Amino acid sequence: MTEDGDATLVRRCREGDRTAFEQLVVRYQKPVFNAALRLLRDPEDARDVAQTTFLKVFEHIGDYNPSFKFYSWIYRIAINESLNALGARKPCEGFNGEEADAALGPERQLEGQQTGRAIEEALMRITPELRSVIVLRHFMHLSYQDMGDILLLPEKTVKSRLYSARQLLRDRLLQGGAI
Amino acid sequence: MADSGRLALIHAEIDGELDGRQRAELARALLADPEVQVLREDLRRVCAALDVLEDVEPPVQLRESIVAALPQSTPSPARSWWPAPRLRYAALIAGVLAMGAILYETVEGLRPGPSDVAGTIAAAGAATTLDTVRLGNGVVSGRVSLFRDRGELGLQFELLASAPVDVLVASDGRTLRVNGLGMRDAPGGPRTTIALPAFGRSGEAVDITFLMAGREVGRATLRAPKEP
Repeated sequence: MTEDGDATLVRRCREGDRTAFEQLVVRYQKPVFNAALRLLRDPEDARDVAQTTFLKVFEHIGDYNPSFKFYSWIYRIAINESLNALGARKPCEGFNGEEADAALGPERQLEGQQTGRAIEEALMRITPELRSVIVLRHFMHLSYQDMGDILLLPEKTVKSRLYSARQLLRDRLLQGGAI
Repeated sequence: MADSGRLALIHAEIDGELDGRQRAELARALLADPEVQVLREDLRRVCAALDVLEDVEPPVQLRESIVAALPQSTPSPARSWWPAPRLRYAALIAGVLAMGAILYETVEGLRPGPSDVAGTIAAAGAATTLDTVRLGNGVVSGRVSLFRDRGELGLQFELLASAPVDVLVASDGRTLRVNGLGMRDAPGGPRTTIALPAFGRSGEAVDITFLMAGREVGRATLRAPKEP
């Protein structure tokens, strides 16, 4: 995956080439879907967010500033759409802290998939803003600078949020006996 | 309890961001404080667990459903804050003239008195406008101008919006954020001038993102010619 490739596809897209857009979909559907899934923890919602993200990219590709990385732009849209979807959820649809505590009983010895599940549950118990930095850093493997570009935050704030998020996850996992 | 400096070292180590001096500092902290050791091990386990979570394959129908949902019309053509090249030059000239008038008004109207402290940028007749972008996307209106004053770059915003506008300025890896622009009743009115020390010396673009309530509502890119 190269930025040159992205730039060429975006240029062709702006010239009206729909096959170029389809190539962008193929290239980015997996990271966009996974980012939404980690933020929402619901495959149906993640699919909807991914679809909305790509439609917005298509509609606004004329507004995209090529001096920025394309992936920063599309990931920003995906994160914002995910946060919108979370905001639109009814309160009972969110993950409940007490339920999470029950799910992570102290005597459970979580290994392998169980640890993964515990991590996913702990992620849902931190704020979406903190979850976003975890998703960008640990699942999308982005640099602090890219994260700042996507979240429109200075790198210092990105680091501060990332550190807070990790420590909250540690506290949640310790409470549940998962680590 | 590990202090924030030690915590930052642990996180930086996890991210592979430690230099030699910091590595030595962390090693000393680990030797001196068992609590730091425990915290470090916990955080490493958390991050290791995060990093092994595998990506999920998107539904096989996702691509098809996206393509099927695309509007029949082709993507909108490239848009810019500038409508067309010829108009761009006309607007640039107009912007320079307007900027001159604004600076004249600013200097004449805000010339510091004997006991005032002069700002870092205001200087009669010394500023040169380098680029101007007019904003008018329905959410934020006005203009932003890039100018150089005695070798230093600066930005002048004249914004009007229904809610406070935060501005993120980025150039060559440096960023600056200014909050609360665009309100008619703000101190100093809708016009705000900021200095950009050490920005754009090599002719890089200055990218500006306009945010309202944390959401992006517009972008502009201004360019300063390379300093001779």
